[in-house]
Amino acid sequence: MKLIRDVAAAVADRGPEVEKSSRRQRRRRQLVLAALFIPLVAQAKLNVVATLPDFGSLAREIGGDKVDVTVLAKATEDPHFVDARPSFVVSLRSADVLIDGGAELEIGWLPPLLQNARNPKIEIGKPGRVQASQGIRLMNVPTNVTRAAGDVHALGNPHFMSDPIIAKAVAQHIAQSFSTLDSANAAFYGANYKKFEAAINAKLQEWGATMLPFKGRNVVAYHDSWVYFAHRFGLNIDIFLEPKPGIPPSPSHLVEVIQEMKAQKIKAIIVEPFHDRRIAEKVASATGAKVVEFSQFPGGLPGTDNYVKLIDTLVSRLAASLK
Amino acid sequence: MRKFILVTLAIIPAAIASAQGAAPASTSSPAPAVSNSTPASSADVEALRQQVQSLTETVKALQQQVKDQQIVLEKASLARESALPQNPEPSPIAATANSPAPAAGARSRFPTEDTSVVASTTAPAAPSGAGVNENGSALPGSFPTTDTSVVTSTPETISSTGAGASLTQPITIAGGGKNYMNISFDGLFALAYSSARDLDHIEVGDHDPQQRGFNARNIELAFDGAVDPYFEGFANIVFKLDNDNQTQVEVEEAFLQTTNLPFNLQLKGGQFFAAFGRINPTHPHTWDFADDPLVHGLFLGPDGLRGVGGQISWTLPTPWYSQLLLGVQNGRGSTGYSFRNPGDNGIFFGRMTTDRELRGLQDFVWIPRWENSVDLSPTQVVLAGVSGAFGSNETGANARTQIYGADFLYKWKSSHAESGFPFVKWQTEAIYRRFEAGRGVDESFPVAETFHDWGMYSQLLWGFKKGWVAGVRGDYLHMTDSEFTADLDRQSRSRVSADLTWYPTEFSKIRLQYNHDFLEENFFLAGRDVDSVFLQFEFILGSHGAHKF
Repeated sequence: MKLIRDVAAAVADRGPEVEKSSRRQRRRRQLVLAALFIPLVAQAKLNVVATLPDFGSLAREIGGDKVDVTVLAKATEDPHFVDARPSFVVSLRSADVLIDGGAELEIGWLPPLLQNARNPKIEIGKPGRVQASQGIRLMNVPTNVTRAAGDVHALGNPHFMSDPIIAKAVAQHIAQSFSTLDSANAAFYGANYKKFEAAINAKLQEWGATMLPFKGRNVVAYHDSWVYFAHRFGLNIDIFLEPKPGIPPSPSHLVEVIQEMKAQKIKAIIVEPFHDRRIAEKVASATGAKVVEFSQFPGGLPGTDNYVKLIDTLVSRLAASLK
Repeated sequence: MRKFILVTLAIIPAAIASAQGAAPASTSSPAPAVSNSTPASSADVEALRQQVQSLTETVKALQQQVKDQQIVLEKASLARESALPQNPEPSPIAATANSPAPAAGARSRFPTEDTSVVASTTAPAAPSGAGVNENGSALPGSFPTTDTSVVTSTPETISSTGAGASLTQPITIAGGGKNYMNISFDGLFALAYSSARDLDHIEVGDHDPQQRGFNARNIELAFDGAVDPYFEGFANIVFKLDNDNQTQVEVEEAFLQTTNLPFNLQLKGGQFFAAFGRINPTHPHTWDFADDPLVHGLFLGPDGLRGVGGQISWTLPTPWYSQLLLGVQNGRGSTGYSFRNPGDNGIFFGRMTTDRELRGLQDFVWIPRWENSVDLSPTQVVLAGVSGAFGSNETGANARTQIYGADFLYKWKSSHAESGFPFVKWQTEAIYRRFEAGRGVDESFPVAETFHDWGMYSQLLWGFKKGWVAGVRGDYLHMTDSEFTADLDRQSRSRVSADLTWYPTEFSKIRLQYNHDFLEENFFLAGRDVDSVFLQFEFILGSHGAHKF
């Protein structure tokens, strides 16, 4: 701060002939200059932008008070369709780190933002760019990419963060990025990662035990975003209210779903905050199943302000509905 | 661990050999100390001592070798990790082989690692193999996917939710897709009916419906992608069918722009739409109505203001979004409509036009713009801008044109939006044109006059349900009366429109639009009112680059 004041004073001071009456004016000029310099000088903390709230949560776990985290998408909105609003350009412009999915989930809105942000620090390949899907084996990579199959992601299903084991890997990449860019605090980030890893490892025992009685059970979801969660906890989530990804439920398809649910005695329908809950309720009342509100993102459900709490909530909600 | 021991054993002979070779070099501090501290003694003892010494050195060298080997292994695993995304198979084996076996929580019942999904861990992976098998193989299921054949043989690739869903390769290049560029094809068609026989006199945009019946006015190839680490390239090639079904081709846009200039600067060069207002820089298929607003088509031109030129833009270091742009273009021909445009048959606004070469900087069109945006709340965004376009026109030797515009956009989108719905969007643009109409070539026209024309449109769109948008629009245009021209393009007029659009997905749309036009007396129409109905349909093939806000 002193530096800023000195710089401002040096620039503002035009020599000894400055009169006393202009002192106020000078102070004002100092303030203006200080305001201009603050963004350039005050960069003690790493400025982290996460496209989605789950990445943001991990960034907070790893970065603690050494980073400032900005999350672009809202926890309650459809992550495929986020407006590329200009204020995001402002966030990205000054980012030291950008964490994105890297699996085309944000392809409808991130590229034009990056074009306009003009920030070389967060280019792909730089330590300031964490692409969460790196090193993750994406599931359901289509052999044939055709939009006749709906909103199919060519690189595979991008909703991978509901698997805590994957979340650990993402957290590790985040820790690596932070440590590279802020080596003074590398030990801090490393320790936070270890803490997160230990927490997830311990929690996995709990979650695994809770879900064990339901191994092999079938669950219906509105959209195909739970394949990784299902894989982790031994569920089958392969019937969807959407006839194809991104295509709204049609009456004829719902009739089929209802028949299938009755035949397999399916007890739960997973919906997310942005889905049309009324459709799920209708199917539920026709089949005796329960509608379970799920979210891919911390903050998407009440009391889930971080990743561990989110999975806690998902596991306990689903277990309760499957009993 | 076993592998490690094997490796160590394998290198022992080599280590011994190298230790012997390297012995003099590696006897650093302790060896001289030993030899110095010993006084002379019997030859046997000396020989023994030497033997011991050489053995010590061998052991030391071996230790060093082992250390080196560990470093090499670590490096290798790091390299493997960074190379992973391109590499289909390798890591699970590597990860398990690398992992120190005596991990603390090795007895946990639920697996905490899974090499089948996480390809690159450097962290100790505890009981992965067993857990994976337990987790994976235990689950019967009925996932109806088609790609069961991929990598099912290796133990680490397990079926996820059962039969169908197979795990597959790691992604290739994250985020960038698999191509060097986006290539898309966009077809925009309209079925039109109008109470006016000559719809092309009513509609002002070149890509609007131009005749009763079917219209194919905007069939477009779009390309975009990274040129190299410094530039991105864009191109839009438009094909359109005229009213006699003859194909016309337009190089609508073809430009490159920089990606990483310092100080938040960006340069753009080539053929491109001028950054003037909201409608002008966008392609017709992104518009919320089937036709061009009057004020845009008649002031900036039927094809919009676009041309060959350059542009520099700077995002200001302000806490809100604020950008300054300055473009410069030739402004020649019909895409520089109000500027160096010789007009149809060499006549513009009644004048026989000069059609001259560039004389200096004043003959370019200069296009400054300043735009700002703030988020009123997490669900509300406002964007406002002012633009200008300044240059010469062809109605006289020194005739000038100045165009000023102001635009405003408000958008609300639900915090629980699915596919971007529901939303409300209000967009307004007002444009003023000062046009010095000279006396034409060789002073052939009786007078010189200055037109002060202005107009605006305002449109409100309501995305009330996933895929469904309803809209209304009002258009108003005031043209200065001229005693000397009865030009159709100089009529004051207005229009109201309403439309309903259904987007089955973001790659297709069907739109029904109704227009009611209020016109001045004219030669081609009995009445002054025109009713038109358009049924527009569109499809997009391929990967189309995402649009700006």
